[in-house]
Amino acid sequence: MIFGNLLRKFLLLELWQGMWVTLKNQFRPHITVEYPRETLEFAPRFRGVPRLRRDPQTGEELCISCLLCEAICPTECISIVSEKKADGKGKDLVSFTINYERCCFCGLCVDPCPTKPITAIYMSHDYEFAGYDRDVYVADRRELVDGLPVKLYDR
Amino acid sequence: MFRTEMMDINMGPQHPATHGVLRLKLLLDGETVTDTDVIIGYLHRGVEKLCETKNYHMIEPYTDRLDYVAAMYENLGYVETVEKLMGVKVPERAEYIRVITAELQRIASHLVWLGTHALDIGAMTVFFYCFREREIILDLFEAFCGARLTYNAYRIGGLPWDLPPGWTDRARHFVKIFPERQKEYDTLLTKNRIWLGRTKGVGILRAEDAIDFGVTGPCLRSAGVDYDLRKAHPYSVYDRFQFDVPVTYNCDTYDRYLIRMEEMRQSTRIVEQALDHLPAGEVMAKVPKRIKPPAGEVYHTVEGPRGELGFYIVSQGEDKPYRMRFRSPSFVNLQALPHMIRGSLVADVVAVIGTLDIVLGDVDR
Ligand code: SF4
Ligand code: SF4
Repeated sequence: MIFGNLLRKFLLLELWQGMWVTLKNQFRPHITVEYPRETLEFAPRFRGVPRLRRDPQTGEELCISCLLCEAICPTECISIVSEKKADGKGKDLVSFTINYERCCFCGLCVDPCPTKPITAIYMSHDYEFAGYDRDVYVADRRELVDGLPVKLYDR
Repeated sequence: MFRTEMMDINMGPQHPATHGVLRLKLLLDGETVTDTDVIIGYLHRGVEKLCETKNYHMIEPYTDRLDYVAAMYENLGYVETVEKLMGVKVPERAEYIRVITAELQRIASHLVWLGTHALDIGAMTVFFYCFREREIILDLFEAFCGARLTYNAYRIGGLPWDLPPGWTDRARHFVKIFPERQKEYDTLLTKNRIWLGRTKGVGILRAEDAIDFGVTGPCLRSAGVDYDLRKAHPYSVYDRFQFDVPVTYNCDTYDRYLIRMEEMRQSTRIVEQALDHLPAGEVMAKVPKRIKPPAGEVYHTVEGPRGELGFYIVSQGEDKPYRMRFRSPSFVNLQALPHMIRGSLVADVVAVIGTLDIVLGDVDR
């Protein structure tokens, strides 16, 4: 027993075993991707920035200005202005802005949205945001529907 | 001829081994630490006060940002506390899914701990392997709730979504391959003489001191105290699963390593059992849209990866808490740090910070 231990100590057995593990892992497939050239698939539920959408079939505006998303947002980054429709039924959306600087991607705004099953506000898969200016992060209604304009920088 | 002097050394707040913005003022006698000042507050965001201005739904994203390495537990503790206050019965399926995700989170959190702890001590390889396996768990979480770090995955009364199709198979695949991978970490570290030399007998925290400091979690169990809230005060559906609580008696860094390794194995066991018995049905109980718990106060704890994670809410019957208080394990465990490193060498400070497994978001709140 003591002799065995001594031999172990002398031969640095546990270090060689460790080396063997490292060697084995050299031949495992890579799991990293080279980011700007390749990107990973997102899960369908991935929560990127919140955006607005129109009805995919009719192309109509879905949001009915119920202000529920504004009320539940913990960072108070949604601001909605609406006015009564001329015929007195329902409201017209005047402006809808989300301040992406404050948004924490929690997804709470989607939960109460009443235009089910397609909620007017949804968590998009957009995540690449870099800008030189803070103003670009205040997205108005048009940008929320069409997506923020992407500026590509060439070298 | 020679004059020796005590020396004050500042460590942190920007230091790779302090796992965040922790600042230590070490009073050194040569290489020996004689006294330590722990200075915290660099990450203080005033979440407790903030919560008093938010309604009960809005608080959950804030809890994510406390212990961001194990955000599922913050979510779990918070929603369970509110449910306890309201007396809501959560559907079985939701409870099981909560247990599965929470235990996967424990594994993920321990993997971060193992990787960074080993990295601090000088074993770099383990770090990459740990993060590789953690990636699988994060992918599972992304498929389940859409986020990889700040999940906001539960709601008061249940879950916002059911599991996506194919999720259970992926989870099963993970629990199948994970023990094999864990053996690799074992081979790299458990008997490695450098690892033994750096961790054995380092950072001793005896049971009576641990209890006096209020230390919980693996740090307490390494001192021979068999106290795990999942067994001591079972919450959720933990009383239905078979698992062991590892306890060791040497009180040192190496023992805490062994305990966390074993906890990962036990968590795998729990996930397996929960997947086997996952009931069908609803995932959301009937709760009012506007959550207004009755007036009263409640304290509820869950066993997080770092120890006892408690939530204390005082309600006055409004839709906002009157007072919110978090008992964060990292904050309490950090108190023991000066005691644990008194008289040890500077190099061991890094090992002891690693073994306490603190997250500064949890310490400062
Ligand atoms: S994701 Fe959260 S923070 Fe962002 S707009 Fe929606 S509710 Fe507000
Ligand atoms: S909750 Fe939906 S319908 Fe209501 S204001 Fe927000 S986006 Fe519009």
